[in-house]
Amino acid sequence: MEFVGLVNYALFMAIFICIYALLALGLNIQWGFAGLFNAGIAGFFAVGAYTSAIISTAPADGRIGGFDLHFVIGWIGAMLAAGLVAWPIGKICLRFRSDYLAIATIGIAEIIRLVIKSEPVLTNGARGISNIPRPAGDLGYMESQIAYLIIVLAVLIVAYVVVERQFNAPWGRMMRAIRDDEDAARAMGKNVEFRRLEAFIFGAALMGLGGAMFAHFNRSITPEAIDPMVATFLIWIMLILGGSGNNRGAILGAAVVWIIWSVSEIATDRLPHEYAVQAKYLRLFLIGLMLQLVLRFRPEGLLPEPLRGDQRSTKSGADRH
Amino acid sequence: MKTKLFALAAGMMAATALASVPAQADVKIGLIGGVSGPIAAMAPAMIDAAQLAVQQVNEQGGIGDGEKLVGVVGDSACNPQGGTDAATKAVNIEGVVGLVGPHCSGAVLAAAGSVTIPAGITLITPSGTSPEISGLEDKGTVFRTVPSDDFQGRALARTMKEMGYGKVAVAYLNNDYGTGLANAFKAEYVDELGGDITQFAAHEEGKASYRSNLAELAKGGADTLVIFDYGDGTGLTILRQALENGFFDKFVGGDGMKSDAVINELGAENLSNFVSSSPVGEQSESLDKFNEAFKGVGGDPDAIFANTSYDAAFLLALAVEKAGGKKEDVAAAVTEVSNGEGEAILPGEWKKAKELIAAGKAIDYKGAAGEHNFDAKGDVPGTYALFEVGSNGFEVVTEMQ
Repeated sequence: MEFVGLVNYALFMAIFICIYALLALGLNIQWGFAGLFNAGIAGFFAVGAYTSAIISTAPADGRIGGFDLHFVIGWIGAMLAAGLVAWPIGKICLRFRSDYLAIATIGIAEIIRLVIKSEPVLTNGARGISNIPRPAGDLGYMESQIAYLIIVLAVLIVAYVVVERQFNAPWGRMMRAIRDDEDAARAMGKNVEFRRLEAFIFGAALMGLGGAMFAHFNRSITPEAIDPMVATFLIWIMLILGGSGNNRGAILGAAVVWIIWSVSEIATDRLPHEYAVQAKYLRLFLIGLMLQLVLRFRPEGLLPEPLRGDQRSTKSGADRH
Repeated sequence: MKTKLFALAAGMMAATALASVPAQADVKIGLIGGVSGPIAAMAPAMIDAAQLAVQQVNEQGGIGDGEKLVGVVGDSACNPQGGTDAATKAVNIEGVVGLVGPHCSGAVLAAAGSVTIPAGITLITPSGTSPEISGLEDKGTVFRTVPSDDFQGRALARTMKEMGYGKVAVAYLNNDYGTGLANAFKAEYVDELGGDITQFAAHEEGKASYRSNLAELAKGGADTLVIFDYGDGTGLTILRQALENGFFDKFVGGDGMKSDAVINELGAENLSNFVSSSPVGEQSESLDKFNEAFKGVGGDPDAIFANTSYDAAFLLALAVEKAGGKKEDVAAAVTEVSNGEGEAILPGEWKKAKELIAAGKAIDYKGAAGEHNFDAKGDVPGTYALFEVGSNGFEVVTEMQ
């Protein structure tokens, strides 16, 4: 193993962690702030990825676009599109309580996946979109990874600062009030439905941005990327493990889970050669076991939601529904 | 718990760092496949077939000065996230000279776009059939040993036109297989050859009756129904109901329809007007050699994509030998060892190939799944034939061009 290789691998992991951290931040707004159980992250991820791909690729036959615009426009478009898709969904579905909302959003993510897979005019169908330009992609292997990492890191920092400000602002307190006791919040004159919708759209826009950055990094997006395992449930694991309700926790969770997810494969590869294929299943088992252990021994996550003063006397998480 | 988790993660990384210092004499190739995920049932046989090539290389003198070839297995989980992760590890941590895989097209596109093309590593996929792979700006580093979905659909269209088929209706299963084939067929039959497709409709899987679909398809007066579906599934139902109700006179199927289930269920006597296309290569000496060797290690040679996986690994090994182990020269060497010129090398003939390469002579690998003479896009044309139902099952009518 050369040092250069190790650096390249670390850069790759860092880029993926930043992308997943954005998705986890988006989910944190929805679940951590507003208590909305969104199990359809993959859908918004896909909307963002495809929107940005359509906006920024070169014109192609047989589908709309590409419009060959700058990737920044693509990323903004991705956020807008994901937010726009979230609006009617939120309007209809946010009346559901937690687990009903989860079922509805799983269904919606699946609808989005099927539409993407079977509408060649919109998304090139099952073949997906390739040759998406990658910012700074013309540089060498390591240089382009470094450049891309700087870009995604900058985006992540901006997103973190914005979300953290919102969390500490009156808006954040109000959201938590709605989450913890909807009736009380309503009695104080808060427009619960509208605020929930706000949180849902805001979170979905961040997920869309994460999807766009993923598509540009890989220079391609296919329906296979909208796999709920890696585009929904893995992000839930990150948020729960990191600590829902805590933005730093969401980012930390993304880092820890992705590092374990990725590095565990190298560890299980040390098994004897005859077990090379079986080792891959062992890895999935280890990840599941880890989640079980965390949920059993530290249900509030690595970095629990910060509580201020004596404003709440109950333990965090005790009053969740 | 926090510290414990960190300790665990750190421990894993440390163990990795210590354990993965390679013995200097090993040459590694990555075998990236969808071990977990939707194709988990197919992947082990494909990886075993590739490992067979590795084993044969090592038994017959190894790479270069007797260095050992090692196949490093990675899990792409059949999605881009897993594919790029596995490819990054193979390229950077294991230091592979080339990759066999990933298996699924989406993973191939992503792994090529973000890892192997920038790093200048050769990638040969044994099962990525998406036409998008042809269009990658890959600096000649991406190859495949399986034909693109485009080829079969277009070849079928040309053959049908030659055989004088007129107006046709097309029914296809609504998934990537059915859609890909149907669109390629339509593009060639209508746009290139000026043929007439009266109805072009997708159908969903697993319904009890397709009579309403068939009635719709029969409108427009086509006498031939082209079915892109699976002969042991929905395709069989459609064919049966079309025969029962006399909607069409003639039937044409893609390779999925060339299934013994069709003959067993419907009877050969009812299928005199049914033909289907399918890849051939089945009779070649190369395939016999591979089948025998793969049976010898306990594999099932009929497993799907086993022969393409073997070919990909063997080709990569030949290219590495030809390039003298230099990673940057492997891609060019892949086309040199299999371009139709030079002494023929069959599966398993590593020793012979090694001697010829050492002597500076040209070699031409004739693979189990085809000749693998790559075009400029790294694609293989694939060889197809049209089959009809005879007294002994499927029989070749004509080669397809």
